[in-house]
Amino acid sequence: MDSRFNYFAPVRTTLATVLYPIQVVAALPSDLSHWAGDFFQNREQLKTRNNQLETMQMLNSMRLQKLQALERENMRLRELLGSSFRLTERVLVAELLTINLDPSFQQVVVNKGKRDGIFIGQPALDASGVMGQVSEVYPYSSRIILLTDPSHAIPVQVNRNGLRAVAIGRGLGMPLQLEHLPHNIDIREGDLLVTSGLGGRFPVGYPVGTVKYVHFPEGRAFAEIAVEPAAHLSTSRELLLVLPIESFENSDGEEPEVTVEPTNDSE
Amino acid sequence: MIQNRAQGRIILFITIIIAMILVIVPIPDSLRLFRPEWVLMTLLYWAMALPERVGIGFAWVVGLLMDMMLGGTLGILAFSYALVTYLVLNFHLQLRQYPLWQQALIVMSLVLLVNIIKVMLSPAVASWYVWAPAVVSTLIWPIVYAVLRKIRRVFGVS
Repeated sequence: MDSRFNYFAPVRTTLATVLYPIQVVAALPSDLSHWAGDFFQNREQLKTRNNQLETMQMLNSMRLQKLQALERENMRLRELLGSSFRLTERVLVAELLTINLDPSFQQVVVNKGKRDGIFIGQPALDASGVMGQVSEVYPYSSRIILLTDPSHAIPVQVNRNGLRAVAIGRGLGMPLQLEHLPHNIDIREGDLLVTSGLGGRFPVGYPVGTVKYVHFPEGRAFAEIAVEPAAHLSTSRELLLVLPIESFENSDGEEPEVTVEPTNDSE
Repeated sequence: MIQNRAQGRIILFITIIIAMILVIVPIPDSLRLFRPEWVLMTLLYWAMALPERVGIGFAWVVGLLMDMMLGGTLGILAFSYALVTYLVLNFHLQLRQYPLWQQALIVMSLVLLVNIIKVMLSPAVASWYVWAPAVVSTLIWPIVYAVLRKIRRVFGVS
């Protein structure tokens, strides 16, 4: 009943609220150790770290300058083509509750919930790539299903040539799998996969992972392609929840999403 | 007497809550499959020691909370915990007489039963690691048993 229908959503919400203090207590030891680690860093470490960050910041802002010009140019070109395109998304930073759930699912709990405007299906990123999407929202917390969960699939495209595919999770510690791609496909080891934006859940162009190996088994119809997720699924402590601009303009969310595929392979 | 009963109930709830915390406390990814079933073992101990206190209904509620805690479908663990508790309640007089290692083997079969039910009813893939929590729980059972018996005697829960 619970897995097929939505009748028990209020029950789940109540139970989750009851259980939230227990989860917070369980997360305390690792929170404390992180806090202690921060506290006892010495001056030298902080200095080198600061230097590193400053260098990184400089490089990033340099790239950003260029990016802004490119973004404007891209917008202009798209206007010429007559297509619509979203560029900026707002994000909300949520902190992971460091607790382990059932190892046969790949889910995490974060400390932001309905109060903060989280909604089901919201994409979650970390600093280096896509982590997953929100699967359940409670008043004070929400549950995020990771890319590697066996029931999760994400539409991707190869950054190099715009080839589209679907990456499916396979469980704890396993790489993602690209499904139903024929043998003559142009994909190589080390290819970067980004979100394609098809399906309307994930914004376009965030890194999902890199191709780890490509294998063409004899006598099978499809290729075996394993993808290493780009996000640090087991070590990230903060994650970014993307707020699409639409959810502010028309809050009913009934309007079908218009997402334009950046590759123009139809022409 | 009434106060004693109330105190006993509080002790029971506290042990269950501590067991729940132990179930979700973070450990390295490679060890996660081998996590012992703390809540189930606590429940089994109380069902064996105080069968008039811990009923199938209580086990069902604890199972429901665990379902929510671990993020599965509501009802799977509730059902399996209730089933296992029913078995223990039926045989609690025999179980109490068994030596500890024999009890541990019974615990292994019960934990395995819960895991098999879970794998059968959820989309999780079945593989050898269905056995992992059962074996680890068996090895840890004597410790859990000793600790909970100590708690029961010190606080006079009956």
